[in-house]
Amino acid sequence: MKTFLSLSLLLFFLSSNVIAQTESSANKTLLFRYMTIEPAIGIHTNFGTDLLITNLVQWNPTRRLSLAAHSSYNINNIAQRDFNFIKTEYNYSLNQKFGVGRTFYAKRSSHSFFVMGGVKYTAFKETLYNPDFDKVSSSVSAISPDYGIMYSLKKGVKNWFFSFRMYIPLYPWPTKGSNIQYIDANRDNIALEAGIGVKIK
Amino acid sequence: MKMQQVLFYILQTIFAMVMATFFTSCKEEIFTPNLTDEFTLQSTSNGGTYKIKVALPDHYDSTVKLYGTVYVLDGEENFDFVANHCRELSNTISVNNVIVVSIGYGKDRSIDYTPTKVSSITGGAPQFLEFIKNQLIPGIEQRYRVDTTRNGRVILGHSYGGLFGAYLFAIDNKLFGNYILLSPSLWYDNEITMSMEKETRNANRGSQQLVFLGIGEAENAGRMQAPFEAFYQTLVKNYSAIHIARNREKNLGHVGSKDPNIILGLQYYFENRSF
Repeated sequence: MKTFLSLSLLLFFLSSNVIAQTESSANKTLLFRYMTIEPAIGIHTNFGTDLLITNLVQWNPTRRLSLAAHSSYNINNIAQRDFNFIKTEYNYSLNQKFGVGRTFYAKRSSHSFFVMGGVKYTAFKETLYNPDFDKVSSSVSAISPDYGIMYSLKKGVKNWFFSFRMYIPLYPWPTKGSNIQYIDANRDNIALEAGIGVKIK
Repeated sequence: MKMQQVLFYILQTIFAMVMATFFTSCKEEIFTPNLTDEFTLQSTSNGGTYKIKVALPDHYDSTVKLYGTVYVLDGEENFDFVANHCRELSNTISVNNVIVVSIGYGKDRSIDYTPTKVSSITGGAPQFLEFIKNQLIPGIEQRYRVDTTRNGRVILGHSYGGLFGAYLFAIDNKLFGNYILLSPSLWYDNEITMSMEKETRNANRGSQQLVFLGIGEAENAGRMQAPFEAFYQTLVKNYSAIHIARNREKNLGHVGSKDPNIILGLQYYFENRSF
């Protein structure tokens, strides 16, 4: 795990240096200094159990400065809604975040890093219907802060482009747990999203 | 070097530091080494060799007091945290501290903590129970000044460990009088542990029990919350002499809620124990 993390950080460092080097030769009039709308679908790093339908609106008032609004509707635990006499009646969350960041340009792509903050609403309900026991339901409806850091990649220089983003939530913080090997809480909820973006201005 | 490049490297460093902190934010707790005993015990029922650690209270008095005992499942992960917080809580509430016994892994935890066999790596709880009942507890009670009644013993488990605690509650209720069950995997094998509780209810319902049930509010995997609620309601409705509390830890998941619930569970025990 630690090796994996070290490698990830090293790769990030190296790729960032490549960005820095290519940036100087990048076309200074690239398109992504304007407003873009980038719908996408994604997953959490609990791989395959949550489906995310998201949208990022990014506005670069200047070449470097980026403002962003990110909305997400998550259908959680989509694959296993009936398990061992436990039925999931509904299970979703809504996230709305706003952020500020910086964009770096390469030849045919741009890379933005944001600090994001907003709110998250989560609702789910489970019912135990095992015939051996009384039927019992349990539901949760909770609002929580949602803040973290986001990386956004835009690939392509025309009006339509490929969009990828990764959001790392930093709430709850610090992650409580004595064993780093476990993936849980915010580490379980890193969002990976891919979609198509369009420049509208 | 241009100003922009400098700024970029600063941003890059900050980002890398946040990432590194994010993935390594867990602090390691270590209980005072000179108050800790450590030995191994080979189980005659399943052949596994278990690493046992024992945390003694400050000023442990081997001649006068009888101490309560907290048996901690997944001990290799939870021992130091539990031992430190027992000391802290008992000092805060001004009550006698307990002896904390960590049960390490002798077999795979999914074998030891699950009551029925649904795959090749499950179903060893009966043998693990035999080990605790016939070897570990007698060994501890021989070595240390502990209360040897069921009211003096606590079992603390999380996830499959919580399932094992619920299994003990149902199958061998005379062994432990206090249960701290955190995010118990009661969904296991079509809620088999709850069926066991139903079968043994008449024999156990009059006994004095202390039960703390904890879970994370964000445990939304479609299996944790409903059985948890059903188990809680069953205990409240059917056990006349029970002291019971539950907690849903806000915004935390299966692992994240463990430590906060351990603290609340221990606090509930110290404030309500019957000796």
